[in-house]
Amino acid sequence: MRTVAERTAPESVEALSEVLARCDRERRKILIVGGNTLNGMGFPPEQLDVTLLTSGLAAIVAYERSDLTIAAQAGATIQMVGALLAANGQFVPFDAPRPQYATLGGTLAAGWLGPRRHLYGRPRDYVLGSTIVLADGTIARAGGMVVKNVAGYDMSRLYVGSFGTLGVLAQVNLKTLARHPCARVFLAPLPERTRTRACHQLEALAIRPAAAFWIEGFHNAVDGEAGPEGRVVVMLEGSEALLERATRDLRSALGRAGVPETRIVDAGARESFERVIDSYIASLGERSVTYRLYGMPDESERRVLALQELAQRFLLRAESIVDVMNGDIVLRVSDLDAHALGAKIEAFDDALHEGEPQAQVVAGEHPHRVYLRVWGAPPSSIERMRALKARFDPNGTLNPGRFVGGI
Amino acid sequence: MLKERLIDALGSDAVKTAPEDLAVYAFDAYTDGRLPTAVVLPASTRDVSAVVKVARACGEPIIARGAGTGLCGGAVPIIGGVVISFARMNRILSLDAHNYRAHVQPGLINLDLSNHVASDGLFYAPDPASQKISTIGGNIATNAGGPHCLSYGTTVNHVLALEVVDDRGEVFTTSCDDPGYDLTAALVGSEGTLGIVTSAWVRLMRLPEAVRVWVAAFGDIDAASAAVSAIIAGGIVPTALEMMDAVITQAVEAAFHAGYPTDAAAVLLIENAGFEDDMATCESAIAAIVKEHGALSWRAAHTAEERAALWAGRKGAAGATGRIAPNYYTQDLCVPRSKLPQALRAVEEAASAHRITVGNVFHAGDGNLHPLLMYDKRRRDQVGAVVETGNAILRSAIDLGGTISGEHGVGWEKREAMTRVYSTADLATMARVRDVFDPQRALNPEKIFPSGARCAEVTPP
Ligand SMILES: Cc1cc2nc3c(=O)[nH]c(=O)nc-3n(C[C@H](O)[C@H](O)[C@H](O)COP(=O)(O)OP(=O)(O)OC[C@H]3O[C@@H](n4cnc5c(N)ncnc54)[C@H](O)[C@@H]3O)c2cc1C
Ligand SMILES: Cc1cc2nc3c(=O)[nH]c(=O)nc-3n(C[C@H](O)[C@H](O)[C@H](O)COP(=O)(O)OP(=O)(O)OC[C@H]3O[C@@H](n4cnc5c(N)ncnc54)[C@H](O)[C@@H]3O)c2cc1C
Repeated sequence: MRTVAERTAPESVEALSEVLARCDRERRKILIVGGNTLNGMGFPPEQLDVTLLTSGLAAIVAYERSDLTIAAQAGATIQMVGALLAANGQFVPFDAPRPQYATLGGTLAAGWLGPRRHLYGRPRDYVLGSTIVLADGTIARAGGMVVKNVAGYDMSRLYVGSFGTLGVLAQVNLKTLARHPCARVFLAPLPERTRTRACHQLEALAIRPAAAFWIEGFHNAVDGEAGPEGRVVVMLEGSEALLERATRDLRSALGRAGVPETRIVDAGARESFERVIDSYIASLGERSVTYRLYGMPDESERRVLALQELAQRFLLRAESIVDVMNGDIVLRVSDLDAHALGAKIEAFDDALHEGEPQAQVVAGEHPHRVYLRVWGAPPSSIERMRALKARFDPNGTLNPGRFVGGI
Repeated sequence: MLKERLIDALGSDAVKTAPEDLAVYAFDAYTDGRLPTAVVLPASTRDVSAVVKVARACGEPIIARGAGTGLCGGAVPIIGGVVISFARMNRILSLDAHNYRAHVQPGLINLDLSNHVASDGLFYAPDPASQKISTIGGNIATNAGGPHCLSYGTTVNHVLALEVVDDRGEVFTTSCDDPGYDLTAALVGSEGTLGIVTSAWVRLMRLPEAVRVWVAAFGDIDAASAAVSAIIAGGIVPTALEMMDAVITQAVEAAFHAGYPTDAAAVLLIENAGFEDDMATCESAIAAIVKEHGALSWRAAHTAEERAALWAGRKGAAGATGRIAPNYYTQDLCVPRSKLPQALRAVEEAASAHRITVGNVFHAGDGNLHPLLMYDKRRRDQVGAVVETGNAILRSAIDLGGTISGEHGVGWEKREAMTRVYSTADLATMARVRDVFDPQRALNPEKIFPSGARCAEVTPP
């Protein structure tokens, strides 16, 4: 990788198209950068000649408040869009870490599935339309500003999660949700003997929590207090009337499971929730690697315990966050320093993937990352994905080598 | 040759080639095309894969078919070919109630799934009005919507993973949890042109704890559509928000006695599903807006039977129009929700200019209009007038910032209209996806893409 790359931040879709077409012709490789908050996912680029910043494309294009739709350029930050919507009593449930930096384009390109998706659906289901610029400079629009649209293939959904390897998103049109709901967060210690029942009770609640985490370690995510015990963090969302009943139900559910004192956070509830989200990407510099696994809610406890045991066998410190509602697991393994971690991490990565072939690396600055199975085992449809990449970006101009299977 | 090889692969009871057996497969609910060369009724994914291999070897295109309720000619063979009917692949393969998912075959009838999982307190949310007959495979291929998609989202929001047979007869699977491109999302709504769905893992939802249904009647259509726009703008998104005009309610009442007022120019059928705690607030907010817009009446359905009757009337509305004219054509368009009053006025103007009776029954909360244009197929002049009315309506939707199909799909019917909403570059970009999945255009040819699209597929320099 060359160290000095040209930096460019086009300020119009046409300018963006020109930059891409020129680089593509000259076979120069482009790294797309939004808020650059996601530096833990993916392989480092194979070659890098041009750093393309989307910061010049950050405008709100159209906010149709009474239609519950908004069109914004891809470089707009999650926070900026969120604030505008909130001022109008609306929201989009995107949950990106560090929303003050994270951009719409980067968040959608990353396609990460957040903890509130069991309630609100996936980010891709909020994308009504898009403008993308392909490597050859083609400006292509898809969808529109209507909430239902089956005119042709759903290209926008395909771009979500494509990690900037099919094209550069210039604009996205989103469906918003009305009535920013009230939120309330519950924090409690989660002693081992109460865990299984507590998770079970949480899943069974009639009013489903917007998010529920069982956290081991990651102390800054919760209350900053170190301690051997796990924690449970639950966020309820809904109308005031609904929260009242949900609070009673949740308290008695946790009580039945034997969870000791529960702390309720009303003012600052969202901040508590965001602290957990931020900790997904919190790395300990070069002495940690964080993995992420998807799965079924009723399997996550067994899986995370097995992972912790595995880490112990390698004498690695393990910390975890279980998204109780969706079954996702975040696992951070660390050692005393980069050297100590380096001595074990590849062997650990091998052993981990034997049992959990789909585990992905999502954070950690470790130089060994290139040797890890960053995206887990390639999916069975990998050849089709390669063909898609070849058809959209035949010269491998955009984010080369960063994605699944080296796409 | 084709016939023999198909019989070799599937057995003679699964292969039809006699013209009288093929005739019904030339139709869907929109139009008729050519007779297929053969129709096969596979019983397994392996069968489907074998059929595709045989058909390709014989140079025949392949058209997947569910129940044939499609409204855009999607399942109709335009240039002949082998039709794969999923009538025998209609089972629920497994149910994981705890994790809210089911693995089903494509020929499963939509409503059968919800009925089957009801005892576990679950349901399958996408509910096209055709749900008593249309199939999950057809729903996936068209990304079908329905009244309750206003809050639950369309089919794509409820498909977790797919098993697909490709254009060469190879089987592949996609899951929306896979790393890499979201091929599941690309396949849903692709109308059988990117692959043939042989099974699907779908998301189930918990049955709501409380359900309320209300009917609001209005003296004119304008007031009703303005009320819908105001409800959405007010940030109230009920679970379903449907509208019917007098032409429809009168037909529905004559056919079903569903409980709609017949003296109103338009009615709104509104449902909110969720928690008891939120119902009073929701009802008073909607009732206030509706009254502000001059509603003649506002009524709650008090019993489950009343609710069911209202919904049965709504979902049977299209069929009930048989009393008005022998035939009807359903147009499908979607506009921004604040534009609903203008869109309905444009429908009215287009219909009266061509002297066509129009009935409106549609997903108002989504801005998804379905004008039903009534006519008599045997009268040439009426057929022409219906076509022109439909086109005029489409044009007005596009002018209002809308789209040419909200849920029925492009199929054969609207392929040429695609150029009205997309540029050549937009269409060429879509075609790149087709190039990867079906380079020979063997899967459901002559659909979605306008006839000139092949030239447009040359990548610009
Ligand atoms: C709950 C949650 C937890 C998450 N946890 C993690 C985590 O642990 N680790 C992690 O790495 N990520 C995580 N993410 C992903 C998250 O989406 C990103 O960290 C961040 O939001 C990306 O925004 P950004 O602007 O900083 O993008 P960047 O970091 O700048 O870019 C992200 C990727 O998208 C590409 N990209 C950026 N802009 C565009 C564009 N306009 N068009 C096309 N491609 C573009 C980039 O090339 C890069 O590949 C999480 C997301 C959520 C919702
Ligand atoms: C009275 C009536 C009411 C309707 N109401 C609604 C409504 O509310 N909402 C709505 O969205 N639609 C509605 N429709 C339209 C229609 O029912 C839907 O489009 C439905 O999804 C079609 O399902 P089907 O099984 O009949 O598919 P078909 O008509 O047989 O096929 C539709 C398309 O799907 C493809 N296909 C079918 N099976 C597969 C498969 N296994 N793999 C790949 N491709 C496949 C076909 O090739 C074709 O392109 C209605 C139709 C009628 C007649």
